[in-house]
Amino acid sequence: MGRMIPNTQDHDTAGFFAAAAEGRLVYRACGDCGRGLHPPTAHCPFCGGWNTGWRDAKGTGTLHSWTTVHQSVHPAYTAPYTLVLVALDDTPDVRLMGRIDGEPELEAGMKMRVWFEALETGETLPQWRPADD
Amino acid sequence: MIDDETAFAGRDKCAVVGIGQTEFSRNSGRSVLSLATEASLKALADAGLGVEDIDGIVRCEQDTVTPYTLAASLGATNLTYWADTGPGGVAPCMMMGLAMGAVLSGQAKTVLAFRSLNGRSESRLGSGGQRMNAEAVGGFGTYDEFYLPYGLISAGQTFALMARRHMIEYGTKAEHLGAVAMACRAAANQTPHAQMRDRPMTMDDYLASRMISSPLRLFDYCLESDGACAVVITSAERARDLPRLPVLIRAVAGGAPPDLRPGMMFPVVSRADMTDLGGRRAAERLWRRAGVGPSEIDVAQLYDCFTISVILQLEAFGFCGRGEGGPFAASGALGRDGALPINTGGGHMSEGYVHGMNHIVQAVRQLRGEADMQIPDAELCLCTGGPLPVGSSVVFRKG
Repeated sequence: MGRMIPNTQDHDTAGFFAAAAEGRLVYRACGDCGRGLHPPTAHCPFCGGWNTGWRDAKGTGTLHSWTTVHQSVHPAYTAPYTLVLVALDDTPDVRLMGRIDGEPELEAGMKMRVWFEALETGETLPQWRPADD
Repeated sequence: MIDDETAFAGRDKCAVVGIGQTEFSRNSGRSVLSLATEASLKALADAGLGVEDIDGIVRCEQDTVTPYTLAASLGATNLTYWADTGPGGVAPCMMMGLAMGAVLSGQAKTVLAFRSLNGRSESRLGSGGQRMNAEAVGGFGTYDEFYLPYGLISAGQTFALMARRHMIEYGTKAEHLGAVAMACRAAANQTPHAQMRDRPMTMDDYLASRMISSPLRLFDYCLESDGACAVVITSAERARDLPRLPVLIRAVAGGAPPDLRPGMMFPVVSRADMTDLGGRRAAERLWRRAGVGPSEIDVAQLYDCFTISVILQLEAFGFCGRGEGGPFAASGALGRDGALPINTGGGHMSEGYVHGMNHIVQAVRQLRGEADMQIPDAELCLCTGGPLPVGSSVVFRKG
């Protein structure tokens, strides 16, 4: 059984994966109030506007939380691996997931940097690692 | 905004008049429908009612048994009202609200609420379930595409991220989580039908249990179980003519967090404050609707899918301040002789995981005065559901 691949055709989220395929990290943002919207929506719940779109992100962030998975729940995701939750430097409204093999030394607030993982099935996932690595 | 104090018309107007459950086990060897039917028949017998009296059925949307299939199995052909609610463990408390709404609006007179699952032997909720075989995951408003492909698959991993954050912000420790697990286990040790009845647990046992998804260990997780629970709800007026001491539904409230995100469980990790629960907003309404506050609660059944969810709910429902849930749990408050005995049948941690429904059954037992680990003079019991992505809650009162 292979990795779970993302649905990249959804009306509200396809732009994230299309940009990733080009090596760009983007996030949904409201053009009126400026808030980040994640998970992405067409409508901004903060100001009530519809003027939302994709915005380029710097590709840097800080580590908000993490968990090291010691018991596999899917055969293609072999423990131990560590799920990292990264808050974008661009906006604290957006936090993205990443996965690091094993159990790396991590601490809250550490600087993280994006990289792009090409899946065998053709999709691209933005991933995160400590900025110092 | 609703003025909860004056607008809530349901206070003490409906009652739970019957409870039923099957054995809780690791492998029932039976269909989920068979389990639901047994629990329902026991609840009806307890209520002194027959299948012909049932005219409403409410359920959790994740149940594989539909209201009309259960009605068919029971022979309850007077069915005229049915409804689903959810998600998952949020459902049981919301079912009390659905039943109340149906009874008070005249759409049904006697409503059955149930949850049935082979949650251990057939479809383990912690496994990622049916998504495993999907070609592409997510889309269609689920937002799973941002989480599953990375390996964030289970509820436990999501709660682990929340637990870690709570530790970062408030200094919560493993021993604080352990205090929750031990309180539940101690109650189970006094409850003959609890799956962990014969398995005492010390803090050393807790700390020695293997890490599943750090910082959560095996004993931070609930017991995935096979089993079913059902309860019967009718008007308080009619309840007085039935054989059992009525347990009144004092108030019901659901709540969404201020920074609600779309999707189900995983997107909660993007909330500005991801350890702030929808339960906090439910609680604000619940206490106004009930006309009582947390200090008046004698016993509570707090939704314990993981130990951390109890810590967060202690804060959300106002039993302690934000960030103080860990020390509060470790103070001994949650035990039989503490200020707030919780999960007095062992809860999901140590009794069985019937997705919140066994908490409703246990609340009724406490207020009837017939629980195995009975809290003396219990008159008000809080029951919570959830706790993601929205919260739900009920205050029950001894009739």
